[in-house]
Amino acid sequence: MSSTISEPKAYRAGKLAKLIDGLRYQGGIGQWSWLVHRVTGLGILLFLVIHVVDTFFVVFNPALYDHTVAIYGGVFGGTYYWPLRWAFRLAELGLIATVLFHAVNGVRVILFDFWNEGCKYQKESFRAVLLVFLALMIPAAIAVILPLATAPEHITQIPENVATARP
Amino acid sequence: MARNRIKPAGGFELTAWYFMRISGLVLVFLAVGHLFIMHIANNVENINYAFVAGRWADPRTGWIWRLWDLCMIGLAMFHGFNGLRQILDEHVHGAKARVAMHTTIWTVMTALIVLGTYAIWMFQEDRAYVEQWKAMNAKAVALQPPGAIHPSGGSHAAIRGKLPNIAGD
Ligand code: HEM
Repeated sequence: MSSTISEPKAYRAGKLAKLIDGLRYQGGIGQWSWLVHRVTGLGILLFLVIHVVDTFFVVFNPALYDHTVAIYGGVFGGTYYWPLRWAFRLAELGLIATVLFHAVNGVRVILFDFWNEGCKYQKESFRAVLLVFLALMIPAAIAVILPLATAPEHITQIPENVATARP
Repeated sequence: MARNRIKPAGGFELTAWYFMRISGLVLVFLAVGHLFIMHIANNVENINYAFVAGRWADPRTGWIWRLWDLCMIGLAMFHGFNGLRQILDEHVHGAKARVAMHTTIWTVMTALIVLGTYAIWMFQEDRAYVEQWKAMNAKAVALQPPGAIHPSGGSHAAIRGKLPNIAGD
């Protein structure tokens, strides 16, 4: 299973070539799994920044929190827009896929780090990552997409904020 | 010969290297578990203020969820922003630019950890709001005409009778 690994490429001159070389690595599955691991890591981080801010609303303005999370269900300004709901559902699925891939591939990276022989099985182990990923992703996709077949369960009215009355 | 992966020789980078791996393993449980609870076991459309209050302010189990979320935000923030720093270290080379980049990353990370920790730690249920919310929804459910068709039409089934309608809100 051993493969010859070339020396890392030197950066070519020029900003664009440098960027492309920086994004690429040594070719093959190793390059792609590494790149996807990097992109998914950054994607989760971007989501997390937004998520920390929206969750912060819960502590000082319950109504603002409810208005914000209602958007995820397709309700904006008290009106329901089904395409909004569909868009958020697909994005939700994308988030789950992103985290699952990063998690499963991350475990593979960690196994390589603590078990030296592991690198010999780079290709096989990446196939295993894809299999585990799909095995988790298919039921998750069904669970997330199925509710779209019916109308939203909770299009709730949101009261005026009463939090300000609290001491 | 398969080449071993590159591990830093020592110092901060080695600590960071171990941290990325240990936090990664803990996050498999915390972050994937969190996604499972919020998106699979529950329907995200049911998540709202009352739902959050029911978790964090539960007198018996609230501390477990708060502890879970506190650990998760700390580990995920350090893991994510350290990952971002590693990536940018490969691309930002000027001495001044690097100092600015590192300062920005750690400042933004600290601010977000403080914000999130404050929300989790200081949360107090606003009972009056939850009661008002429950009352309004009970009224909306009662007003819902039987067999009403949802405005989305198409593949959407007729809205269930028990459900409130927000049209005209
Ligand atoms: C779910 C469990 C997770 C596991 C098992 C995991 C594992 C890993 C591992 C092993 C690395 C490589 C570290 C290195 O090369 O030194 C890494 C990198 C990274 N992770 Fe995670 N991680 C997880 C969750 C997260 C989360 C929640 C975020 C976002 C907040 C995140 C963002 C990143 C970023 C941005 C990188 C840097 C990528 C790069 O250097 O190419 N990870 N992760």
